[in-house]
Amino acid sequence: MPIATAEKQPALLDSPFTAAPGPASSRPAAGKAAVLLIGLDLGTNKSCVLSGAPGSSDIAVSKVVPSVVGYVKDGIVDGIITGNARILYGEDALRQMLHVDLAAPLAEGVIARPEAARDFLLHIRALADPTGRADIRAVVGVPANAGEPAREMIRRSAQGIFSRILLIPEPFLAALGFRDDSRVKQPGYVDPVVNSLFIDIGGGTSDLCLVQGYFPTRDDQVSIPFAGDAIDDIIFGELNRTYPNNGLSRITVREIKEAHAYVGPSRKPLEVKVVIGGKSRTLELGDAIGNACNSLMDRIYPALTSLIEAASSDSVVTLLQNIIITGGGSQIRGIDTVLQKRLSDDGYESPKVRLAGQDFRRYVAIGALKAARAARENQWQVLLA
Amino acid sequence: MHRRICFLRSEGRDAEAGQVADRELAIAVADARRDSESGAEADALLAALFAEGEARVADAVAFAEVLLPMLAQQLRPASPPVAWAPEGAPQARRSGRTPGRAPDIADFIDEMLAQDRAGIR
Repeated sequence: MPIATAEKQPALLDSPFTAAPGPASSRPAAGKAAVLLIGLDLGTNKSCVLSGAPGSSDIAVSKVVPSVVGYVKDGIVDGIITGNARILYGEDALRQMLHVDLAAPLAEGVIARPEAARDFLLHIRALADPTGRADIRAVVGVPANAGEPAREMIRRSAQGIFSRILLIPEPFLAALGFRDDSRVKQPGYVDPVVNSLFIDIGGGTSDLCLVQGYFPTRDDQVSIPFAGDAIDDIIFGELNRTYPNNGLSRITVREIKEAHAYVGPSRKPLEVKVVIGGKSRTLELGDAIGNACNSLMDRIYPALTSLIEAASSDSVVTLLQNIIITGGGSQIRGIDTVLQKRLSDDGYESPKVRLAGQDFRRYVAIGALKAARAARENQWQVLLA
Repeated sequence: MHRRICFLRSEGRDAEAGQVADRELAIAVADARRDSESGAEADALLAALFAEGEARVADAVAFAEVLLPMLAQQLRPASPPVAWAPEGAPQARRSGRTPGRAPDIADFIDEMLAQDRAGIR
């Protein structure tokens, strides 16, 4: 029974004589913690956290953190780990991978290891609020079609860490984050929240979402459990088949992919230098990387066309001009042009596919922080400690 | 009385809750303290009563959270009413906004929460 939250329930009083809580304020009342808002993109491979005070547009903290927790192995000599910490997070955990058991809190966009997720959220909280005293309210992005069990898992993991929470689908948050609020009323500005199609390619899932001026329904969203991690798996398997006993770790394979990923026709030769068994070797990875990335396209394209065809005839022409790719997958070379050409070849009217840009890792979190600042008091879900 | 305050707050009626707390409950608490042999004993008793009341209200609200979507699912009409749609957007699935007013983010969140409650997302 999901009892972790009580929606529309402002915090219960410590004392019945405390003044009724009004809108969120960053200014602490006597004995009351200051409210800090968090926008969190809880990603399978990387998470992004933004924080700021209510009633302002300032961003106090903006960090991208690998979504990984490292539990220090028994018997590690004193001084090897800074401060003799027992748990490391993000880059620190990856740097010490020899000395820790790495745990990924999420798989395919949802929490797979609740204890690690809880530790990771504690770290996120510490990043956002080093004082540890703030009353934290968080808007957290979830995959487009995350079911109630996945949502409940996030709420349970966040109990006692955040005081209130709102879970909002990631592609919608990406649209909010991508929107340039300063230009919304300018003539000629195409507001992505009014009519666009977002493709958010992360580590665990690829999420597609029609954003047409209202909150997307289930029919407006598609989440495909095939994204960066699945591409890594394919490349990893192909490498082991072509170059047996290569000894390359999945993390190295991911780094190779991030440096060389592409879609479209084969780009051979694509020679990649690696160190195997202490010796430098050059591997030909043109086909391995191309085939893996093109298999992502083969999954995204049918979902994309099904959403386009679901759009009304009076909105679809404008919609086709506003197909936006974000997330780590937007860094795959050629992904925008290949998708656009495929749509064009299939007869869609003047499609225009573009990349969200350099802030691709942050748009979901930016949108989440905007949502946190705009949420009404009765929209938050209170996490019962 | 304290449970009523908690319920009022759970419905977002903070002003009413504040009034009950400041007036009726404050008087009742003062009476209880006066009738008690020691202030500390009265405070401990009141704190326990308040904690129990808060827990019961929280449980009731959480229970309603589970029950309401199930009831809504069974009672939902075949087609939701159409009240508003932005220019160039599909004329369907909208509800609850003032016609002609541009939606703000809180409106989107309202729509999301309504979808959650109705179990249509």
